[in-house]
Amino acid sequence: MYENEKRERVVKASRDITMNIKKVIFQVHSKDNKEEVLEKAGKDLEAVREQHFARLMKELQGTDFWKLRRAYSPGVQEYVEDATFYKFGMSGTLCTLDEINSTLLPLSDPSLEPLQINILDYILGLADMTRELMRMAIGRISDGEVKFAQRICQFVRQIHRELLLVVPQMDDSYDMKSKMEVMLQSVIKIENGFTQTN
Amino acid sequence: MMNSAYRSVHLTASRLINPNPISSSLLHLLPLYSSTHAAPPRSSPLRRRFLATPSSSSFYIPMAAGDDQVPPPESHLLEKQFESFRVQLEESAALREQIRAVVMEIESATRLIQANLLLVHQSRPIPEIIEKAKEKIDDLKKFYGRLAEILQKCPGQYYRYHGDWRSETQAVVSQLAFMHWLETGTLLVHAEAEAKLGLNSLEFGLETEDYLTGICFMSNDLPRYVVNRVTAGDYDCPRKVMNFLTDLHAAFRMLNLRNDFLRKKFDSMKYDLRRVEEVYYDVKIRGLISGGDPPPPNVQAQSS
Repeated sequence: MYENEKRERVVKASRDITMNIKKVIFQVHSKDNKEEVLEKAGKDLEAVREQHFARLMKELQGTDFWKLRRAYSPGVQEYVEDATFYKFGMSGTLCTLDEINSTLLPLSDPSLEPLQINILDYILGLADMTRELMRMAIGRISDGEVKFAQRICQFVRQIHRELLLVVPQMDDSYDMKSKMEVMLQSVIKIENGFTQTN
Repeated sequence: MMNSAYRSVHLTASRLINPNPISSSLLHLLPLYSSTHAAPPRSSPLRRRFLATPSSSSFYIPMAAGDDQVPPPESHLLEKQFESFRVQLEESAALREQIRAVVMEIESATRLIQANLLLVHQSRPIPEIIEKAKEKIDDLKKFYGRLAEILQKCPGQYYRYHGDWRSETQAVVSQLAFMHWLETGTLLVHAEAEAKLGLNSLEFGLETEDYLTGICFMSNDLPRYVVNRVTAGDYDCPRKVMNFLTDLHAAFRMLNLRNDFLRKKFDSMKYDLRRVEEVYYDVKIRGLISGGDPPPPNVQAQSS
């Protein structure tokens, strides 16, 4: 069935996104030559977007993207995780879903409906991102940058509280529930990290 | 007062150090811990070295690049976004509730049909059974119509919610196909199944995979039927079912199925076919089939 071939290609594009984007996270964590490395991370993110994400979008445009969601969701979640983490590293702010989707607009075929990341994949990716925030906070605490760590802590707490309210209404509420537990553990790890600096 | 001194120092310092200056409008969102705690309760030993006095009015330049440079997340943007998420997800959850209610009705109608059809294993006359079962089909049509209406409220999201009626639909197809076979001895085709349920592929259709899976479920029930028919003295049944299943299996083999649930169901059809063949063979060698071979001669040696 032709559909199966398309699904295979979508899965491959999704995997390629995941494989090529992970380095962005390491770069954002990096403490040496922060400015340079962050700049490189931005470029790498753009490259993944323009090569692999664009390919994914090409495959999905014109087809029912809800139908193939299982095939591409992991890659999209990973992309959201990395892009939001990068944005936080750059500016300390949250990259909203609208912002991420606006970066994807230029990749779409203008004659077709633009492919946008949906709420569910965004929230799932955001949830994963908080784990990286926890690692960043712990690292900063051990470097003595406690204030920054406190800010991260506040940020993660806020995300956790906001997401708590939407979990039961999500399509993937089962997955999301376990992610929320991990998220709470991340918050606790950061909070415990503060007690160790005394 | 001590906060504003701290703030202005912070502003200057961060503009000097951070080549990507953050707009000062963001800085006023800084939840300075010094405003809520008397002294920074959790400052690291490293930081204490740089502070002339523990009070935050002292002149403080962050020596370690990074700390104090990054502004806090823009809370209001964050809240707005999540508020919008809540609204959207509440809508989809409500829709899902409606869908589930209808699907439950579909399921109970299907069970009624199934309970009815089970009587064929007890040799009740088929036409009677079919008549009763057909009454329920109208109900099914009604329920699927309701489902289609609900889905119209969210165009383009058929596949988002499809999982909610997938297995129920497979069960429906399985019963309908069995009923059809009992009546006609032939396979209920996809288009016919779709029409029976009042569906059409343009708006709300019968998924091909659901149809195929339903057919596999029907095949799973056939061996049992054959055994019970033979017990009841219908020795023609095995041959009929065997031919039917052989053709069905061959047709399925032509599909290029991927390694998923449907594929596994198709694989199980092989075993259904084999069991029916065994019953057929059994019936045949006992000479029970009209016009069949006479029983083999008794080759057991006579005990002396």
